[in-house]
Amino acid sequence: MATEQELSDFLKSVEKRAFKRSVYHVRNEEAALDIVQDSMMKLAEHYGDKPAAELPMLFQRILSNCTLDWFRRQKTRNALFSNMSDFEVAGEDGDFDILETLHSGESSESAEDSTRRAQILRDIEIEIQALPARQREAFLMRYWEEMDVAETAAAMGCSEGSVKTHCSRAVQALSRALTAKGIQP
Amino acid sequence: MKQPYQQSPQAHQALYAARVTRRLSTGMDDLPYDITERLRAARMQALAKRKVVAVQTAAVASASGGAGTLVLGGGNGRRGGFGWWQPMASALPLIALVVGLVAINIIQDDDRTSELAEVDAALLTDDLPPDAYADPGFVQFLKTSHSSESR
Repeated sequence: MATEQELSDFLKSVEKRAFKRSVYHVRNEEAALDIVQDSMMKLAEHYGDKPAAELPMLFQRILSNCTLDWFRRQKTRNALFSNMSDFEVAGEDGDFDILETLHSGESSESAEDSTRRAQILRDIEIEIQALPARQREAFLMRYWEEMDVAETAAAMGCSEGSVKTHCSRAVQALSRALTAKGIQP
Repeated sequence: MKQPYQQSPQAHQALYAARVTRRLSTGMDDLPYDITERLRAARMQALAKRKVVAVQTAAVASASGGAGTLVLGGGNGRRGGFGWWQPMASALPLIALVVGLVAINIIQDDDRTSELAEVDAALLTDDLPPDAYADPGFVQFLKTSHSSESR
């Protein structure tokens, strides 16, 4: 059974990545925060007594399910509202990045570097968000969460062959899109 | 002929993916303060939830009294077996009481029958006392029984 400290350390180690993954999926920071919070609560409430080694897989599964639930709930809402909120979030992010760069850039060279880095990251994130949902999920679990094929398949509820296909297609699509933009990650 | 440093498509794919995810990880470190704070708050809330569950489990175990051993023993995820045993355990004293009452009734019946049989046997096997012959009732009894037999 995981102690409270182990559970806390585990959640601390995954929370930021879980948040970013959720943002890539739902494209909305508020919703992503809600999803991560729900996932943490469910893990602590229902599986807090499980061994620490089982927590990563359980959390991935819960996070995937919570994301799916969010999409199901969104389906029932007005499509116009969700589209408008998408535009708002994209606009806010863009402004925020530019202001940050202007205020923090004392040295022109480092400012240029950081702007360039931020721009590459932003382009990569856009391309990841543009991937089909299953490809994006497989890619992020397999390569960002560093889960093996079997674990990814178990968390996604599909076969190992499907995971390999999703990952391969995701990498090809990313490579094609980023090369077209002149980006070498 | 295969070149010495040529990578397999899978290795190339993994390498490319690793470069992409390294970029993503750098972005993760630059999350705004309010986001990291809200994530921290969510984590604390989740941990508090876990505590409440632990306290509730302990309370249930201590409040169940006589069945406390069963509750603690079946609390480790084997709820199916536990659900079946609880009614069995509570019905056991009742079954024992009914079986005991039936047994006592049978034994008492047997005792009474054997007592009556003993008295009858003693009466039948005993010698007839001489006073009995002088009793007018006895003579009457002999007469009636004799007359009823002769009829």
